[in-house]
Amino acid sequence: MNVNAESYDAIPAASRKRRWGPRMWPYLFALPFVLTYAAFQLYPILYSFVLSLHDWNGIGAKTYIGFKNYVQLWTNDPLFIKSLWNTLLMMLMFIPLTLILGLTLAYWTFQLTRGKRFFQTINVLPYITTPVAIGFIFSYMFDWQTGLVNLLLTKFGILEEGFYWLQDPWGSRAIIALMVIWRNLGYFMIIFMAGMTVIPQDVYEAAKVDGSTGLHTFIRITMPLLRNITVFLVVTSMIGGLQLFDEPKLLYGGWSGSAQVGGPDNTALTMIWKFVDESFISNTRFGYASAIAYSLFLLIVLFSVISYRLTAPKEDKR
Amino acid sequence: MKALMWICLVAISLLSLFPFYIMIVMGTHYNEDLFKGIPILPGSYLQENLTTVLKADFLHVYGNSLIVSVASVVLATLTSTLIGYAVAKFEFKGRKWLQTFVILTMMVPTQVGLIGYIIEMRHLGVGNTLWPVILIWAAFPFGAFFMIQFMRDSIPNDLLECARIDGCSEPGIFVRIVLPIMKPGLATLATLVFLWSWNNYLLPLVTINKSEWYTLPIFISNLGIVHRTDYAARMAALTMTTIPVLILFILGSKTFMKGLTAGAVKG
Repeated sequence: MNVNAESYDAIPAASRKRRWGPRMWPYLFALPFVLTYAAFQLYPILYSFVLSLHDWNGIGAKTYIGFKNYVQLWTNDPLFIKSLWNTLLMMLMFIPLTLILGLTLAYWTFQLTRGKRFFQTINVLPYITTPVAIGFIFSYMFDWQTGLVNLLLTKFGILEEGFYWLQDPWGSRAIIALMVIWRNLGYFMIIFMAGMTVIPQDVYEAAKVDGSTGLHTFIRITMPLLRNITVFLVVTSMIGGLQLFDEPKLLYGGWSGSAQVGGPDNTALTMIWKFVDESFISNTRFGYASAIAYSLFLLIVLFSVISYRLTAPKEDKR
Repeated sequence: MKALMWICLVAISLLSLFPFYIMIVMGTHYNEDLFKGIPILPGSYLQENLTTVLKADFLHVYGNSLIVSVASVVLATLTSTLIGYAVAKFEFKGRKWLQTFVILTMMVPTQVGLIGYIIEMRHLGVGNTLWPVILIWAAFPFGAFFMIQFMRDSIPNDLLECARIDGCSEPGIFVRIVLPIMKPGLATLATLVFLWSWNNYLLPLVTINKSEWYTLPIFISNLGIVHRTDYAARMAALTMTTIPVLILFILGSKTFMKGLTAGAVKG
């Protein structure tokens, strides 16, 4: 009986697959995306690679110089190495902190019986705000003379006089990290919460029966089950972190009005900022800047592979 | 423990809101008053600040930003939905390959091709216009991926089959059956693209240097530099830039969250 019913269902399904529509339609439907991707993304990417092998200022003739741009970049450009270092430092500051804070916040909010959506919505607001606004607000709050933070700190006697936040090498990096944390915290929180929703409730009930409570349940059950989500967040925030640009650029181009490149002594210079500055702001070294972009690309591939290997356990690889 | 948790939650939420509050309040003060002390309460200078902003061609720039965002939304959702439909609901040679292609494109950061893109745009003669800022959205890998997933889950094959037997043409099926079912997915993708293109800073910064074509982020970072740096006016402008996105977000917060989390939970 059962076997009959199954084969009765299976045959039409198979023939149905073969009969699916005239053949050209799926290709026609896929065409706009493929064509526009080829025209506006793939072609520029390949063209940039060709440019990275040339010495070109955007106007004159291109001279082919092989991999000299890359050699120059990695061996003879201290500013590039510094920008790489800065970017990594800031990532080290904001990625772990956002992960821990986001997870805690998600865990707390998830347990609420009322007001879940309310807290979610409020905390995601920074994520949807224009980076320009974030840059302005932060450079105002941390301004040396008029900034809110210094005013409060001196008022309560924690500091004798205002601290030069934006002109201090570590101060500048910490503030940029803070901006990124402030912006992304809500996003991390809702991603973690989405992961928690997927965890079946009976797992928790079973744990309760076995006498597990509060923190123990959280560490032993919730956290391991959120592993994939955490891997996703780590990898995407690595990729995003390596491309850090809006926050530092707007922190130093916003409130103060000055167009200081790289912050104090270039301590806030990130790789993309260096790239944009070499190609469009201070210089028009298109070949050299393309080499920066490609080096960044390779780093992104490298980092995502490493962070995936480190965070994804072997038994999970199906 | 419970009380401590509540205190922390409320404190963090207040920290999330505080900068917004400061932004709105600062926009209501006279610029030079901002330096006298901490502006905690709203001032009475809002109207004058708004006048300053509006005089600086704000509406024109607002229009530019709207054009960019709406055009990007239309382009991105159109191409994404079409390829999503093809990959999720048809059996054809190269389907697997196309799917891998979409996932690969999602991993390549746009900045890699930035210089090539700008030079391409200059060759096409649209270098210093709104076109580069719009066309970058014509093929949106995340959107395509999102649509493939969404189509697979929400459109029953039988329904398409019935329509075919009834003699409905393929484009007819797409317009009359697929699109209506896809409304929630379209709304999610559209809001996300709107948000990201509205806030985009890097691309307009390097492509547009004619004030005629400024978008809001570029306009505001250049506002009031000429005569005196009017921070209060800038804050008022920022408030007006942020508020439509905030309203859009609060109205559709459910859709929004779904879109933001779509990649993670499935991926």
